[in-house]
Amino acid sequence: MGMLLCCLFPLDSIEWENLVMASATVNGGGCRLRVIRSVSAALGRRFYAKVATGTDIVSAAPNVSLQKARTWDEGVASKFSTTPLKHIFKDKKVVIFGLPGAYTGVCSNKHVPSYKENIDKFKAKGIDSVICVAVNDPYTMNAWAEKLQAKEAIDFYGDFDGSFHKSLDLVTDLSGALLGTRSERWSAYVVDGKIKALNVEEAPSDVKVSGADTILGQI
Amino acid sequence: MAPIAVGSVIPDGTLAYLDDDNKPQTVSIHSLAAGKKVIIFGVPGAFTPTCSLKHVPGFIERAEELKGKGVDEIICISVNDPFVMNSWAKTFPENKHVKFLADGAAKYTNALGLELDLSDKGLGVRSKRFALLVEDLKVKVANVESAGEFTISSAEEIIKAL
Repeated sequence: MGMLLCCLFPLDSIEWENLVMASATVNGGGCRLRVIRSVSAALGRRFYAKVATGTDIVSAAPNVSLQKARTWDEGVASKFSTTPLKHIFKDKKVVIFGLPGAYTGVCSNKHVPSYKENIDKFKAKGIDSVICVAVNDPYTMNAWAEKLQAKEAIDFYGDFDGSFHKSLDLVTDLSGALLGTRSERWSAYVVDGKIKALNVEEAPSDVKVSGADTILGQI
Repeated sequence: MAPIAVGSVIPDGTLAYLDDDNKPQTVSIHSLAAGKKVIIFGVPGAFTPTCSLKHVPGFIERAEELKGKGVDEIICISVNDPFVMNSWAKTFPENKHVKFLADGAAKYTNALGLELDLSDKGLGVRSKRFALLVEDLKVKVANVESAGEFTISSAEEIIKAL
């Protein structure tokens, strides 16, 4: 059982200690499932995720569009058009990362800069576009992207009603920070719509697995 | 909810802002407005042009004049989170008196009956453009703009009532 769990959850030594402690408290029937659930809870990891490596991201979120970051005038000129997911992902190699909120600390100071600073490495690996998405309106995303001087390197999109993130089950309740329902902090490498690598932070305030360096190693 | 009208008492509600340490905090509207003369003006969205280039600047420019006429607080509210409101407020470095408060889930806007669905513009449910003059929690003037307009909700208009 220990081996099975080890395969399901790649662990470092501290997490392994937690796993041993969690499994030691379980006894009787239904042992394996209960251990998985309690370990899952102990590690704060999601047990049921809607998307995983191999998922087709366009099929997982049918009829969902994102809104390209824009000024209001650009919105008017384009009749407030939105971008269907297939236009973003079909026949393309895309690195996409999602974050809780424009103008928040970790998003502005760590997460976006991580991708902006590594854009040449992404281009060198044949990535067609690096995309940043958040549950914000496209005008706020645009103003934020300009403030970070990141619009040239990264394509910013708004998911104003959260429909993209809700479809992929990548939402988290950040009411405690007065943000409401937002995106988790995550990153993915997607080729012709198929997820090749997916990284979701356990804590939205961390950039441990969702930064550019991790995903560069997965391309 | 029917839109707030002259003579009504404004509902209480909590709005959010970032403190000097950039930590999110909340404040009750009644605690800011009880026993005072306040102007509350609402805008559809931070970082949108009419809000940024006309509506807010009008109140910033006339703030001293409004204070001179006995207005204790000038409050701008929008259906945005406090991080966005805080950053948007910083784009007005000349601002001395206008408080920018966030109604992230549109709860207060709904309580005022002033919500507006702007989903087709990629904004979701927001606030109408409006300006209220409130004295000791009672609405004295309620100027609510029709969608897309900017006329009666300006600082210029509400000064006439003081």
